[in-house]
Amino acid sequence: MKRANSNRKLKLGGLVVLMAVICCSTVADAHHSFALFDRSKLTALSGTVREWKWANPHSWLMLAVRKANGVEEEWALVGSSPNMMVRWGWNAADIKAGDKVTVDIHPARDGRPIGEIHTVFLPGGKILGDPGGQTGEALAGGPSNLPAKPQGEPYK
Amino acid sequence: MNPGQATAGRNVGVLRLCGGVCALVTLVLAAHPGGARAAAVPQSKDEQAKAWRDIAALPDFWQGTWQSVSPIADDFPTPPDYTPSALAYIKTYKPVEDSPFANCKPLGLPFVMNIGGMPMKFFQSPGMIALYIESSGMTRFIHTDGREHSERPNPTYLGESIGHWEGDTLVVDTTGFAPDTLFQMGKLSQKTLAQGDPSPLSGVIFGQHGPDLRLVERMRLTDFNTLEVQTTIYDDTMFKRPYSLPARRYIRGIERRNEPQEWACTDNRDYFDPTTGKLEIDVKDKAQSR
Repeated sequence: MKRANSNRKLKLGGLVVLMAVICCSTVADAHHSFALFDRSKLTALSGTVREWKWANPHSWLMLAVRKANGVEEEWALVGSSPNMMVRWGWNAADIKAGDKVTVDIHPARDGRPIGEIHTVFLPGGKILGDPGGQTGEALAGGPSNLPAKPQGEPYK
Repeated sequence: MNPGQATAGRNVGVLRLCGGVCALVTLVLAAHPGGARAAAVPQSKDEQAKAWRDIAALPDFWQGTWQSVSPIADDFPTPPDYTPSALAYIKTYKPVEDSPFANCKPLGLPFVMNIGGMPMKFFQSPGMIALYIESSGMTRFIHTDGREHSERPNPTYLGESIGHWEGDTLVVDTTGFAPDTLFQMGKLSQKTLAQGDPSPLSGVIFGQHGPDLRLVERMRLTDFNTLEVQTTIYDDTMFKRPYSLPARRYIRGIERRNEPQEWACTDNRDYFDPTTGKLEIDVKDKAQSR
């Protein structure tokens, strides 16, 4: 793990990534929607898996989420192609209905209960990063560093 | 009539004249290496051995797979010399707000070569190079047996490809496209675009190519790990003169995770509404076409 990098290096790295995103837009994966989800935002969503669909062109995670006020919502979360995910360490059997998971998602711009999967935190401690929106170099190079815990704004 | 057909016609005449013995000679003549009919008769063991030796001497496109590292959209650094009808189309063109290819319909050439995320892999056998494109789960068949294009190729998403080597460059000539292959005809000027648009497709002009669209791709290694593909588009309904795109780059992956995988598109629940240019997701009842 390269997590021992100095803060300065991390900041510089972040800046380089940000600049690459802004000026070059070299994301390799284009099957996704660009307009629906806000890739500059992360929301941490916790709930129970209703359905996990491992299929092309996209995988789907249906999640039952109970809000602080007791209301239960059904969220539809879209992931990358399983072909890409498997290269980043995913396995179809990692997730099953009934699992309690937390997912960092890029939320919908219009507030609907849909999202684009960023990172999944499984009950057993396994963490899976979605390769969607990454550069070709990152996809060919394998999974990058994953966050140890959810980074998104907790959804209430 | 192409040379292959001329040879075939002559052969029929010879057969009628001299019968069985000559037929054998004719068969051998028709099967000359590189001829249009070379693949239609079995090759001898020696011929096959020689063909494989020739393959071994070619540039190494074969190890591992190739992952696109170029932006999805093609850049058009110099504006193409558009036909009047293409200019009229662009004048009223409203850029799509979203990805027009979020579901299972094949993209086809040329745009399928632009889709990264998943790699491509070259395979070679005598007389043919196959290029598997994982992001569509489709394989291009590039004939390298010296044939010419069919007179009336039936329309397909990947067209009819014929390749030959010019030094270390594989030159692939393709025609015979379905009318609805995804075709980028240009790019709107940056000035007309919204600031900070995160979409890599912002400003892309998609349009319908003409029936005689022809692509000439020049594929070569710039080093062991880098493949460049430079495409020139011939379409007289779109461009007054052929347009040469900047080369696209692909990097080699030899690790196991970069091996090709099956890609079957079965979960067709996204719907791109062509009238609004918007994508709707998770709508199984409407999601049938691109």
